[in-house]
Amino acid sequence: MSENIIETKGIKRAYDTPAGRFWALKGIDATVPAGCFCILKGRSGSGKTTYMNIISSLDDPTEGDVLFEGTNLKDLSQKERENLRRRKMGFVFQSVSLIPSLNAFQNVEFSLRMAGIKINRETDKRVEECLKIVGLGNRITHMSYEMSGGEQQRVAIARALAHRPSIIFADEPTAELDSAMAARVTEVFKDMTRKEGVTVLMTTHDTGLMGAADMIIELDNGNRVY
Amino acid sequence: MLRIMLQKMWQKKWMNLSLLLGCILLIAIAVSFPLYQKAAYDRMLMDEFEKYMGENGNWPMVIHMTAYCQRDNKGTIGRMEDFSREIYDRLGVPEYETIYYYSILRGVLTSEYNREDAQNMALSLSAMTELEDHARITAGEMYSESGIGEDGCIEVIVPQITMTTKELLLGEKLTFDSLVTAEGDPISIRVVGVYTGNRTEDFYFQENPENMFDTCMMKPELFKEMFTGENASKYNITVNIYNLPDYRTVHEDQVGSVTDATVYLTGESPFRKVIKAPDYKGILDEYELKINRISQTLLILQIPVLVLLAAFLLMISGQMYEMEKNEISVIKSRGSSRVQILRLYVYQGLAITVAGALAGVPLGAFFARLLGSTRNFLEFDLNEMLDITYTSKALYFTLGSMLITLLCISIPAIGHSRVSIVNLKQNKSIGKKRLWEKLFLDVVLITVSLYGYYSFRTRLSDISQDVLSGKSLDPLLYISSSFFIVGCGLLFLRIQPFVVSLIYLILRGVCGPAGFISFMENIKNSRKMQLIQLFLIMTISLGMFHATVARTILENAVDNTEYVDGADVVLMERWNEIRDENGTPTGIFIEPDTTKYMDMDFAKGFTRVYYDDEAYIRKNKNQRTPMTLMGIHTKEFGELTELTPGLNNSSYHELLNELANTQGGVLLSRNFESIEGIKIGDRIDYYNGKGKALAGTVVDFVDYFPTYSPKVTVIGADGNATEADNFLIITHFSYMKKMLGTRPYEVWISLKEGATGSDVYGFVENHNLLLTKYVNRPEDMEKTLTDPLLQGTNGVLTLGFVVTILLCAVGYLIYWILSIRERELIFGVLRACGFHRSEIVKMIIIEQIFSGVFSVMAGIGIGRLTSDMFVPILQASYATSEQILPMRLITEASDMYRLYGIVALVMIVSICTLIALLFRMNVTGALKLGEE
Repeated sequence: MSENIIETKGIKRAYDTPAGRFWALKGIDATVPAGCFCILKGRSGSGKTTYMNIISSLDDPTEGDVLFEGTNLKDLSQKERENLRRRKMGFVFQSVSLIPSLNAFQNVEFSLRMAGIKINRETDKRVEECLKIVGLGNRITHMSYEMSGGEQQRVAIARALAHRPSIIFADEPTAELDSAMAARVTEVFKDMTRKEGVTVLMTTHDTGLMGAADMIIELDNGNRVY
Repeated sequence: MLRIMLQKMWQKKWMNLSLLLGCILLIAIAVSFPLYQKAAYDRMLMDEFEKYMGENGNWPMVIHMTAYCQRDNKGTIGRMEDFSREIYDRLGVPEYETIYYYSILRGVLTSEYNREDAQNMALSLSAMTELEDHARITAGEMYSESGIGEDGCIEVIVPQITMTTKELLLGEKLTFDSLVTAEGDPISIRVVGVYTGNRTEDFYFQENPENMFDTCMMKPELFKEMFTGENASKYNITVNIYNLPDYRTVHEDQVGSVTDATVYLTGESPFRKVIKAPDYKGILDEYELKINRISQTLLILQIPVLVLLAAFLLMISGQMYEMEKNEISVIKSRGSSRVQILRLYVYQGLAITVAGALAGVPLGAFFARLLGSTRNFLEFDLNEMLDITYTSKALYFTLGSMLITLLCISIPAIGHSRVSIVNLKQNKSIGKKRLWEKLFLDVVLITVSLYGYYSFRTRLSDISQDVLSGKSLDPLLYISSSFFIVGCGLLFLRIQPFVVSLIYLILRGVCGPAGFISFMENIKNSRKMQLIQLFLIMTISLGMFHATVARTILENAVDNTEYVDGADVVLMERWNEIRDENGTPTGIFIEPDTTKYMDMDFAKGFTRVYYDDEAYIRKNKNQRTPMTLMGIHTKEFGELTELTPGLNNSSYHELLNELANTQGGVLLSRNFESIEGIKIGDRIDYYNGKGKALAGTVVDFVDYFPTYSPKVTVIGADGNATEADNFLIITHFSYMKKMLGTRPYEVWISLKEGATGSDVYGFVENHNLLLTKYVNRPEDMEKTLTDPLLQGTNGVLTLGFVVTILLCAVGYLIYWILSIRERELIFGVLRACGFHRSEIVKMIIIEQIFSGVFSVMAGIGIGRLTSDMFVPILQASYATSEQILPMRLITEASDMYRLYGIVALVMIVSICTLIALLFRMNVTGALKLGEE
């Protein structure tokens, strides 16, 4: 937890709308230390997702810099960013994002393939391990349509984790889950930072989950308020 | 409701446009069928009539009543006349000409001149209505208005033959010895004119004046006044009434009623005994047999296309409901009744169907015209369009096809309207076996088609015989091939996931993430693609099969016509034989001047050919084997004629060379070897039709030789047709000339490129040639190409092919666009996780390979197999009695390239569209989509 994995300096993001320029982010500075469980909090429309998209290299800021492990994302080509995402980052989305034609095991294994890891016995073990971490060790052959929403989301978490990324971005992963399941999923994230040393950056508007966080960044109307 | 419907349709405009397209095509194809039939059958009917006219030199529709009325006191003549006027109404065909010809039995006359052969002078006093309008007076004049001369003599005109045989003089007065007027006064006639007339120029002359050597014609009105009516009981009169209905107005749909009326006239009417069986009845019977066969064939060929179109509509509407499933279930859960939802869809279907009919019917008319201009597979001659008229039949077809399209569009809604939101969630699972898989439909279809294949295979010649005798065909014959294609396609789809799994196992280690997803998508989700894959497979295999069928049937017919005709033009002039002083033929002929043939600037060259089909060989003293004898100039003959390679053991020109190099050599038909046991090098004696002996050394045997048919159909004494061997001897023209002297020969002409049949006509007319044989290959070829069976087959197959390709392209594109739309979220996720765009493209391409390329390959394989197996069987059903050459399976490489090219284009266009779609996709946008 010695280095900062992410550092943002004066991130601004504007959208051109018929009503004129709209500033979704108005200059965000933040540093996230490696290995921490960081929650990005804020009301709907506060700019959480925009900010997360920018720091995960999915979107470009209008102004400002993002340093990922000391590298300025501006200096990377599209392809380098994609490679960065597939090797160093894991993603969990609000909606179910499993590939329907794959079962739980294959969905998790897929992230290993994406990261360019050769599939062998070792990797099989890793997949099983990740599924165990999310509490689905007994459902590895199930197809996504055979699982509940919470279970599917946990498979997605295992998938984000499997290739040992430096950071996992989770955008409202608990939004579609009931509060018990949401707490469970949050717990899994927290657990992962301990066991795997991975950094987790999770957005949520659910204040009940804040207790688990090592660090909280709160946005309101495009500004950092906490 | 209307607003919701329109809104809904606008939202899915592309789907609705595709439905409309399918609808238009289905209605157009269905309507084109009766329209084409009507036009083609009318044309064919006229062809049949005109063929008769050409062969018999007579009006094709003649109803001839003839009666000998002996002292007619019952008014028979009058009743016959009345009845003859009714005939046109009964037939429903307007009058072209009616000729009443009355004749009083031959009576002896005495001339005013003292004649040596007075006892031979006997004439029939006759009259023909309207003779004055038709007869050409060659000497003297026509009888006067009153028909009676100043001296009270009846004025008569006579044909030249009567004038000559009776040695009559113009103006001669003759008095009948025993024929008297009703009042008992003697009857005198005066020959006032000589007339002539010719049936080939004027069909009025049903009786050729040149055959009326003892007839004199008086004014018909006068004849009727003097000898019929009240006076009829005093005379014996022969009445001939010729009714000539105007055949040109007869249409295909009238044929049945005309036939029925004719059967009534000759079988049931009060005058059945005096009506001669008309020739046209045979023409019509044969015609009906033919069109039934054509209709059946064309209908069966169209069915797969119509089924495919229906399947397309079902697929698209099914796809649309699939997309609207959420809406339907939400509406349903909010309390809308099932009937309301159904009504919404039926209205939508109705709107599309009506719009489809509005565009489909004119398109159908265009298709029908196109069918009539078909020259070959995928070839049209737009200058040769048929005239199209709408019939009630076309209306039924329109309504029928509209009903089908409406059902196809609405039926899928029935299943969907049942679904509420709860069922929908429960049903989201994939991977369930389809009904056809559970029922083993693939195995069933293949088994049925193989049964059909083997049972027809073993009785191929019977099929041809059945066709020739006009029997209707077993529909299984046609359906087998379609079943085979669908069965094989389904079997392929059943096997495909296993094949893909196997490939995956092999490539598992090396395939990257894109390959991994594509493989998994294909293995797990293969059932979703089955319909479109089956569609592709069917398009390609049906396309290949149909191309082969069309080519094979047509090319064989063309080859056969070329073979049967022998040369571009074959003609034989009338030769005059020199007679001795007793009038007996001497066997010496005057050879017509042949230098004129050198002036034919449209011809490449000509050669003389002796042709004698009454020649024979003697087995022993009493037994003769009839055969055909040909005498040729080998070099000229070889230059002017051609023979499809492979028909004989040696090449055609080698055979001719062999003959050329052997003086006194002969080429024999193969059956001399197989039946008579003759060998090469043997010496053979044979005789021409006049019994003159000839001899030669056997040089070689031929299986086929221009115009030669190894088998001929012989009608036995019992009236049954049997096949007999036909023998042929070919020898040198010069040898025959030496042995037999100059005898009538045929002139075989080869035309220059671009020369037409009318050039030949012009030549014949300019030189006033009297021909006893005339073969015009360009004309025969035109007849072959426009034969409704061949043309219709080609047209239907071509049209079907184009339509299938179109559907396939649209269906394929729609399927893939939907499939990508459906997966937009997943693609967004993948892109977010760092998937390169190129990898997504790779994914799509791999998926296309498995669904598209695999299907195309399967389609090619199945198409080839089906062609090899079923084309020979289908061909048998196109047999004609003139088919001599063995059938060859013909695949035109260009057809296949065209087919592959179109399919490749479809796939490339769809891949490009998909890639463009992918590039327009925004990662964060796609992810947002998932959150909504």
